[in-house]
Amino acid sequence: MLDNLNQDVSILQPSLQMTDSQVQNRIRQMKMEDPDEQTCYQKFCNLFTIEYYREYFDVTTELVIAKVVNAFNPFSGTFFDIGGGIPELYGPFWILNTLIFTIALSVNIIKYMQLQPGEHFEYQFEIVPFLAIFMYLKTLIVPMIYRVALKCVSQDRLTLLHCFTIYGYSAVVMIPISLLNSIPNPAIQWMLLVYVLFAQTSFLTSNFNQELKYLPKEKKYMIVGLVAVVQITIMILYKFYFFSSFNYQQLGLVKKRMNTHILQHILGAN
Amino acid sequence: MTDNQQVPFGSGMFQGQAKFVDYAHMNQQEVQVNTLDEPVTDTLLRDINMILYKLSYVIIPRMKETQGRKLRNWDLWGPLLLSLLLAMTLGINSNQSSDTIFGTIFIIMWGGSAVITVNAKLLGGQVSFFQSVCVLGYCVFPINIAAVLITFFQSYFGFFLRIIIVGVAFLWSTFSSLSFMSSMMNEEKKVISVYPIFLFYMFLSWFCIFI
Repeated sequence: MLDNLNQDVSILQPSLQMTDSQVQNRIRQMKMEDPDEQTCYQKFCNLFTIEYYREYFDVTTELVIAKVVNAFNPFSGTFFDIGGGIPELYGPFWILNTLIFTIALSVNIIKYMQLQPGEHFEYQFEIVPFLAIFMYLKTLIVPMIYRVALKCVSQDRLTLLHCFTIYGYSAVVMIPISLLNSIPNPAIQWMLLVYVLFAQTSFLTSNFNQELKYLPKEKKYMIVGLVAVVQITIMILYKFYFFSSFNYQQLGLVKKRMNTHILQHILGAN
Repeated sequence: MTDNQQVPFGSGMFQGQAKFVDYAHMNQQEVQVNTLDEPVTDTLLRDINMILYKLSYVIIPRMKETQGRKLRNWDLWGPLLLSLLLAMTLGINSNQSSDTIFGTIFIIMWGGSAVITVNAKLLGGQVSFFQSVCVLGYCVFPINIAAVLITFFQSYFGFFLRIIIVGVAFLWSTFSSLSFMSSMMNEEKKVISVYPIFLFYMFLSWFCIFI
């Protein structure tokens, strides 16, 4: 039992040692900075090797699961204490892909349930590329906004990668919620939406708060306000584009109209 | 006399049935002419045998890691045929968007395999790129079977039976690729390198249910 205790504590305590790949990266960096040792390939094409990006994927299963479980809890501000607060991109990337999959799935389930008895069900594909682009853009742009805001209040301990990490993990809450969203009752859907908004915003703010504790109040409220406003905007976009029932016919109609228009244009019809 | 052995020809190796030739007493010219002279059926059968041999590894998933080693002679014919078959069977039943479906499945299969392989490499696994793409492509075979069954025998299968068939196919696929992928990674990173495979096959399986 004491062993388990040590293990638990070691996950939560910030570690001062560098992991293996970080040590290797450091050695490589020091070699790289010596201009005699560099080949031309190393000077310019380092960006295209896999080893360059390995540093950002330095995770183990335990770490990922601990972070995911932490992300479901909106009030503990301990996200950056797990595993030494090392930023990584594995979690955000795969959580994003899972989210795209579950939202596409739930949109199709909603459409399936709205089917009239005689109709043949057409799997709606057109939504997947749009959804993917929306999600990837959101995950790229919003952490940059956060980083800029943090820079404005001169908070330098959280880098851009930290913002990517925490924003990516905060999206975990949406995964079960989007599956539950396929329940046809609109009251339940609105309640779920409000819950997600609340959970994500408070997770982000309680974690940023740990870093911002020593700032004067106006700056703190500015950051918190910015986080909340961005989240609300995104949730409204989700709701009115992906989860509202009138949009499916619209999407179908738009595609049909486009096709006939292009065909007429090609055939030279008036 | 036919023999199952690895015979060098040209610049590559292949496994399968080969006519036993006495290379010690033949010069290089004669060896190369041999494979050009053979009937086309021989060439095709050799490749088809290779594909079937690998498919037998998929059908009977081997959990012991040493037995997955035979899949290391990668080839991309099998994944190509399987992905075309899957995309075509899933696109047949759709009225308006069969081309979108075909394109989406094809891209997701190849793009997904590439992303999963790059992910495994980034996490520190010693996996060769094309071996991994090959294994992931071959392991789509059970989902292919499920798709063909559901598409061509649609009237016999209700919704719940479809879910059961697709579920079985999905689990089968995942177990087949599990032994190969998890043998490449450290103990502590196995789950996080296998999770993307799980997601990938689940994405492909859901298409089979709704078509």
